[in-house]
Amino acid sequence: MKKKFQTKKIALAVALSFGASLVLAQSGPIKIGVVTPLSGTYTPIGEQVKMGLDLAAKEINAAGGINGKKIDLIYEDEEANPAVATQKAEKLFQVEKVDFLTGTVNSGSTLAVGQLAERNNKLIATTVSFADSITADKCSPNVFRVNARAGMQSAALAAWVDKEIPKANIFFIGPDYEMGRSTVSAFKKASTEKGAKDVGEVFAPLDNKDYSPYFGQVRAAKPNVIYTSVAGNDTVRLFTQMDEYGVNKGVTIVGASGTVTSQNMGAIGKSANGFVTGVGYSPKLDNPANKKFVADFQKAYNKLPDLYGADSYGLLYFYKAAVEKAKSTETDKVRNAMNDLSWQTPQGTKKMRAGDHQAMQDMFAVRVENGEFNIVGRVPSDQAIGPDTCTRF
Amino acid sequence: MLESLQYIYAPQIVNGLSIGVAVVLMALGLTIIFGLLDVINMSHGEFYAAGAFISVSLMAMGVSFWLCLLLVPLFLIPIGFAMERLLIQKVFHYKDRHILTLLLTFGVAMVLEDGYKIIWGANPIKPSAPISGASELLGVMFPNYRLFLMGFGALIIFSVWALIYKTQLGAIVRASAYDKDMSSSLGIPVKRVYALTFAFGVALAGIAGVLLAPIYSVFPTMGRDFILMAFSVVIVGGLGSIKGAVIAGILLTQLQSISSLFISPVWSDPLVFTVMVLVLMFKPTGLYGGMKNA
Repeated sequence: MKKKFQTKKIALAVALSFGASLVLAQSGPIKIGVVTPLSGTYTPIGEQVKMGLDLAAKEINAAGGINGKKIDLIYEDEEANPAVATQKAEKLFQVEKVDFLTGTVNSGSTLAVGQLAERNNKLIATTVSFADSITADKCSPNVFRVNARAGMQSAALAAWVDKEIPKANIFFIGPDYEMGRSTVSAFKKASTEKGAKDVGEVFAPLDNKDYSPYFGQVRAAKPNVIYTSVAGNDTVRLFTQMDEYGVNKGVTIVGASGTVTSQNMGAIGKSANGFVTGVGYSPKLDNPANKKFVADFQKAYNKLPDLYGADSYGLLYFYKAAVEKAKSTETDKVRNAMNDLSWQTPQGTKKMRAGDHQAMQDMFAVRVENGEFNIVGRVPSDQAIGPDTCTRF
Repeated sequence: MLESLQYIYAPQIVNGLSIGVAVVLMALGLTIIFGLLDVINMSHGEFYAAGAFISVSLMAMGVSFWLCLLLVPLFLIPIGFAMERLLIQKVFHYKDRHILTLLLTFGVAMVLEDGYKIIWGANPIKPSAPISGASELLGVMFPNYRLFLMGFGALIIFSVWALIYKTQLGAIVRASAYDKDMSSSLGIPVKRVYALTFAFGVALAGIAGVLLAPIYSVFPTMGRDFILMAFSVVIVGGLGSIKGAVIAGILLTQLQSISSLFISPVWSDPLVFTVMVLVLMFKPTGLYGGMKNA
């Protein structure tokens, strides 16, 4: 007790001698660790995560912090590598003694850091990872997800397809690995349940150079909708080659949210026009909270926020609401407060489902038109969320 | 039945042919450098990428596609020449030449790939095709640019073959490759011939890069795309044989194309490599081994 008092006294003296404010020295900030890719392939995503978090922290701190405490964000580069992510997370938990942790992008990193959080009895949240398993069969009492998962994106897209093209004949083109297979089967399930017909599928190798050998099968199946979950440069080739061969004539192309992005849109050019996908966020959302968020974001970074930026921004408000409700940063109290908590985000109200720690939110169908994503449909959160399949808690 | 023949098999074959021409274009430089210089050039794919990137930059400056076809080899010939003189020659005379040149060119490939990332960025770039539109062929639409590519590619392949087997220049190159001591005693500047032959192979990769960029788009790791297939073609066709490369190229891409109708596309690559392994087992010199039998 005496020792603690002395440390406090020293801290106070140091703080005063450096001219720091008394308030800060007395309460100490809430430390939030951010393990996110700041180098490597996922750098653009990590940047958005950082921009969203920094902006929210600035706003919250300017308005007096959380329960009078400022937020202190501590960044570590995870290089989109689960092995590195766990090392850095361990360091943040053990050395920096962070109260909460976020930022992981790669679904593998989120799962690995989630296990680490359980061992350290801390809470983490992802604002990016899509893999359904994180809040389904591999759910954890210490892991929360504030962004929409892959299943919600397919549900939103399937609802849009059903409304615009009822009883569609759908052909599926996916990259032949885990992500490709799971996205195709998820959308196939979601769309056939609504009455669409599966007329064929092809799984091309990752980094496939030429898709034209598969166009014969596509033509023979006579689809009026093509679903695809290829990504990156594969999208550039698939879309421009479909255009080259006229395969997309009279066909609506829909796909995963990562299929067309700001990174490859320039290269796809006009071949991307008309592509529809399901997403959890668009900077074009027409509500006052989003308009303010987009304006502030642009003012701060001279850049538009994407879904990663928006969900990371929303996360700090989620944590703030939970800590204020719990009146504590203790793990058990905060976890209880987070369950079934509703909070405000640029997307509108989100609610954290207690059963699997998956945030519920409205989903949107967006269409590419000349380099921009325009909102063409909205699916209410209860129709997009899907069943709670988490059995661990 | 007739319908599936017309609408599925025929387009598939024509289509496989257009990919075949692309692969043969890639394999051509590779087989020349191997057949004549006995160097395994692992950086061939990166020179293909170099051709594509240079053409993208030139076109951004307003240079037409057709002029690029002429300018890109002019850019790459000095680079290839310098690489042979400054790097390959350094290790060329060692006994384990194959391993050394393989490692050396592999290193160059890695340096180049990262260089492209620094200069042009990691995002893909897609130059537009100089010939747009599609024509009806056998009742199926076929992109005009691919038709042009087949014709023009065949022309390039034939010209290269004629250059090496039907001209005096080609005879000098083949003589230097066959017996460098005898050739140099007859007054042939063997070292310069070697460097120029390497540069010629590099320039061919560059031309392939310009031609294929509008179809396959341009990005730093694009060099890896065709290299495995091109190596298989060179091995199956017989190291150094142009005729072999053409036949093996068409054969393997048709195999890939037709098989992808029946089996999962992921298995069509292993199928190609199985053929390569079988050829290596039963006829290690390939279908038309060696430069000697054209």
